[in-house]
Amino acid sequence: MKSHPHSTIEGFSLDDLVDDLTPVRRITAAQGWLIGGAMTLLAVTLVTIFAGLREDVLAGDPSAMVVQRSLALLLLGCAALAAVVDSIQPRVGRHSNAWALALLVALSFPILTLGTAMHSATMPMSQLSSPSGLWCLGISLTSAMMIAAALTLWARRGAVTVANRTAWLIGLSAGAFGTLAYSLHCTSTTLAYAGIWYTAAVASSAVAGRAILPRLLRW
Amino acid sequence: MKASDTMLMTLMARAQAGDREAYRILLLSAQSWLRRFFAQRIAPHEVDDLVQETLMSLHRKRATYDPARPFLPWLAAIARYRWVDRLRQSYRAAADTLDGDLPVDSHEDVVFAQISIERLLAQISPAQASAIMLVKIDGLSIADAAQRSGQSESLVKVNIHRGLKKLAALVESE
Repeated sequence: MKSHPHSTIEGFSLDDLVDDLTPVRRITAAQGWLIGGAMTLLAVTLVTIFAGLREDVLAGDPSAMVVQRSLALLLLGCAALAAVVDSIQPRVGRHSNAWALALLVALSFPILTLGTAMHSATMPMSQLSSPSGLWCLGISLTSAMMIAAALTLWARRGAVTVANRTAWLIGLSAGAFGTLAYSLHCTSTTLAYAGIWYTAAVASSAVAGRAILPRLLRW
Repeated sequence: MKASDTMLMTLMARAQAGDREAYRILLLSAQSWLRRFFAQRIAPHEVDDLVQETLMSLHRKRATYDPARPFLPWLAAIARYRWVDRLRQSYRAAADTLDGDLPVDSHEDVVFAQISIERLLAQISPAQASAIMLVKIDGLSIADAAQRSGQSESLVKVNIHRGLKKLAALVESE
């Protein structure tokens, strides 16, 4: 059966699309989780090799603060990644709240840490001049860039229909996972430090994602 | 040609595996469905272009379809994306003409349908809706639209640009 569609786009033909058909490997949510997880492990490995892990982490007995901040970053990264994964396969009528959950977690992290620090003996403002702050940003953002690049390459194979939001979320997820890798090296155990520098790293990654990625995600 | 979503799900799954006969039937069904979809949303002379663009997108993005889920919501999402892309092109074209004159027949290049338009225009500011309605739908010149709406000519251009941009965002977020 040959089709004879009324053609208005030069060179368009249903027959050409049919002739061009080849089997495809489906894009699945599991691939996104696998890529996000593998790249985070790679970032942790590189931080271990080039910067070294905290002694308590190496000993398998991390301090409560390290556990707490790592879990918060892991939760944020996973919530944002869930929203990214959800955006790869479009469908009308779906009302996913994964991105709203990611945003909520992202906002609660700095508010909780800074709020607690304000009531402690250590004033958060003193942490602004911490010499290791730029080191924190450098390692976190380098790791985030690596993770974001892999997620973006994968997302380009999908069909992202809300490019701006997905760009934010890729930056947010990569920023959280990249900062998680750094947190296993970070010598500080104060809430104020995490509240300022970790938040700066995650926010910078999210803003960079929004600024750079939409044009790469459109198709 | 009308086909049930269950049948389309099966056809698309077979197409993903490389079955060309199933793919041909699917494309014909999708083409028919897309004509009805766009006919309710855009100007009649734009329908064929957008149907073909959407079918090409379907072809390029066929790996993103999950056979466990209904086919038509997936196709509608692809179609809506192409529609939003058209709206974006329109407001960029409007931005390009902010410092110049809009061609008299430029309304013919804008993708709109009266059915969706009224609902969408209600969600932007009255000044923006009025400028878009007068120039892009009724086909008035900028000068005539300015006189009719009581806005300056430059304000009419700015309202068209901003209004189309907002409309694109509204359709995208629906």
